[in-house]
Amino acid sequence: MSHGHTHPHGHSHDHSHGHSHGHSHDEHGHTHENAADQGDMAPVVDMSIPDSELSPGQVSRRQMFRRAGLLGAGITAAGVLGTPGQAAADSGKSYGRSNCEPRDGYLWLAGDHHIHTQHSSDGMYRVIDHVQHANAYGLDWMVITDHGSVAHAKIGVDKVNPDIVAARKVIKDTLVFQGLEWNIPGAEHGTVFVAPGRNEVATLKEFENSFDGAVKNATASTPQNEALAIAGLNFLAEAVKKRRVDDALFLANHPARKGLDSPHEIRGWRDAQPSIAVGMEGAPGHQAAGIPKPNGPGGGRGFYDSTPSADSWPGYPAESYKTFGGFDWMTSTVGGLWDSLLAEGKTWWITANSDAHTVYQDTSLRGPNSDFEANGRYNDPVYGGGPVLTQGDFWPGYYSRTHVGATDFGYGAVMDAMRAGRIWVDHGGLISGLIVRARTSDTRGVTLGGALHVRQGTKVEVSIEITLANRPNWAQVIPTLARVDVIQGDVTGPASNKDTFTTPKTKVVKSFEVNKNTGTVSFTYKVGAVDRPIYVRLRGTDGNRTAPGLLGASVDPNGPAIDVFGDADPWKDLWFYSNPIWILPRR
Amino acid sequence: MTTPMILGIDSGSRTVTEAEHLLHTVVEVLGLPSDVVGCTHFVSTGMPHVACSVTVPAQVDLALLPEDVSASLGESRTGSDPDGAALAAAAHASRASGRIVMFPGRDELVGTVTVGELVERSAIARVRVLAQPEPADAALAVATNGFVRPVWEDGVMTLLTMPASGGMLMPAEVPNPTPCCGDHG
Repeated sequence: MSHGHTHPHGHSHDHSHGHSHGHSHDEHGHTHENAADQGDMAPVVDMSIPDSELSPGQVSRRQMFRRAGLLGAGITAAGVLGTPGQAAADSGKSYGRSNCEPRDGYLWLAGDHHIHTQHSSDGMYRVIDHVQHANAYGLDWMVITDHGSVAHAKIGVDKVNPDIVAARKVIKDTLVFQGLEWNIPGAEHGTVFVAPGRNEVATLKEFENSFDGAVKNATASTPQNEALAIAGLNFLAEAVKKRRVDDALFLANHPARKGLDSPHEIRGWRDAQPSIAVGMEGAPGHQAAGIPKPNGPGGGRGFYDSTPSADSWPGYPAESYKTFGGFDWMTSTVGGLWDSLLAEGKTWWITANSDAHTVYQDTSLRGPNSDFEANGRYNDPVYGGGPVLTQGDFWPGYYSRTHVGATDFGYGAVMDAMRAGRIWVDHGGLISGLIVRARTSDTRGVTLGGALHVRQGTKVEVSIEITLANRPNWAQVIPTLARVDVIQGDVTGPASNKDTFTTPKTKVVKSFEVNKNTGTVSFTYKVGAVDRPIYVRLRGTDGNRTAPGLLGASVDPNGPAIDVFGDADPWKDLWFYSNPIWILPRR
Repeated sequence: MTTPMILGIDSGSRTVTEAEHLLHTVVEVLGLPSDVVGCTHFVSTGMPHVACSVTVPAQVDLALLPEDVSASLGESRTGSDPDGAALAAAAHASRASGRIVMFPGRDELVGTVTVGELVERSAIARVRVLAQPEPADAALAVATNGFVRPVWEDGVMTLLTMPASGGMLMPAEVPNPTPCCGDHG
């Protein structure tokens, strides 16, 4: 099972063995066996199954298809997804960098949805600089997300596109999306991206000109600006519905950094457009920012060095402005904000990205004699002669990875996987593969992002198979996985207060010691007879830095420690996080 | 006769830096003593912004305030938009919230001082370490960076700190944070 992962894969051209065909058979087979897997399309499009029988993710997808006018038109699962079998006949097709063989029915594709180029006022690199590095560091997909701004909306959004199109042609085994780092009106930044196509630039440009907080002077935390953010998400949904673009997604970036994303705004985005607003960065980029001086910037990890402002949500504690084991407080707090959403049954996924603007130890400098405002971009970077140690970012793929379980190597499949929540994230190559299934004795069960529907009292277990690091990361170390924690919570239903950011019934329920870095390890967590709706998610660590969680040792005895300001070497504090699986007994 | 009162002031500052500037201006024009307690407060009257509060002697001439400053002192209100000023003064009076810029002993807190010295030398009554339930060890060193901004927490003037390099603590509020769309170079 694991050997497909442990031998290094080169470019796709080395692999002409038609695995895509086999994979599609696999998929097709279990689609009909198991109607509970939200990754499978059958229940979503089978209108004999009412919405109430579907998982939250399945409902989201059904709503998307419904809006798109796709339901009831006699479509099948294969019709919506295309026929993967045909892809094998498409000669010269690439299959991505990190995985050539499906595992658990999916290609697990590593990516990054938060990357800045010379079209950002604080960026400097060409598109191809990022794409080449991302490809070399093993990414299968990436999203170019320059900042929304007046200059970008007017010039940059157009100028970046030919560079992206050219990069797609040169680097075939890394998918390159065009996106935007949206200044969310009344809130933080977020990634918005669309599926490539005829209207990709026009849609992004209209979106930015109409809904970007900086362009519209709408960054202040006012009800009007919060409403403009929702209107922006509605615009994206409409663009998909009208088939102006094939797909669009939004994820909140560095959500707790400045206290700007209030709990009610996050719930508002998600509830307004659950098929568009699908998640947030569990870990911010800028992970080199805490490397001590004089070898590094000596700042806050993730450049999390802010305190409350007038626009911050006043209910957030001072801890929320810091990172814990490199992760954002919303995600790293067991029983915290993320868990409060999951406990409502809300689909809301986490990712981990580079936020690369200017790379730690890179030897290039921003292009001299640039006029960003006039040209919408900086001139191309030049060689500077020596490493710059004050820059806090890593190249895409170098440290932070978002792994998505895609049905195929393609733009649509990556976006579908993200929407479905088939996502896990890691730092520093802590692990190479993660296969999780919640299952009963007689079903194959569901994977990350899914909901397993069982009869009341059915015994359920969660199987966990981890491909350990097995090979060195980009610090030339083979990281050791010390421990895996199973985090479980009760699904307590809708929160009456939209600003809720804790949930009382979520805690670490089981830990598995590993202390290995080669081969694979498997565990089974016995959930037992399920008498109430719950969810389960996973977290793992190299064990170097731990502390009791913010909600107490009884909730999280060995959680991530608050990062030391000015002394947070990211390679010495590695974690992985999975997205959740829900287990829902029928009444 | 000289019972101190709390003056609320507001000129619609959007940032704490602007608000601190206003505080200093007001202290100067009113000729206030150096041991005042002056704070910034986030208020959401209209556009979210930062108002200030400062302890003043009972008699103070509000006519000395700059024209664009609204103020609240006891029952009196001056200026075009005194609601934020009133909220700031009330928050300070109840010690419910607010970030303290001026406080007795502030000038003593430079360089590296221990937690114990910090409490001894200034009006700061408590030092708390983020993400740590236990009180801060009095012997631990705090690198002040010359920038110490305690807050009202549970009615107590509290300095929030966090772990810093060299096994020290530092104030949780970092001077000159990374700007929103910052140039990290």
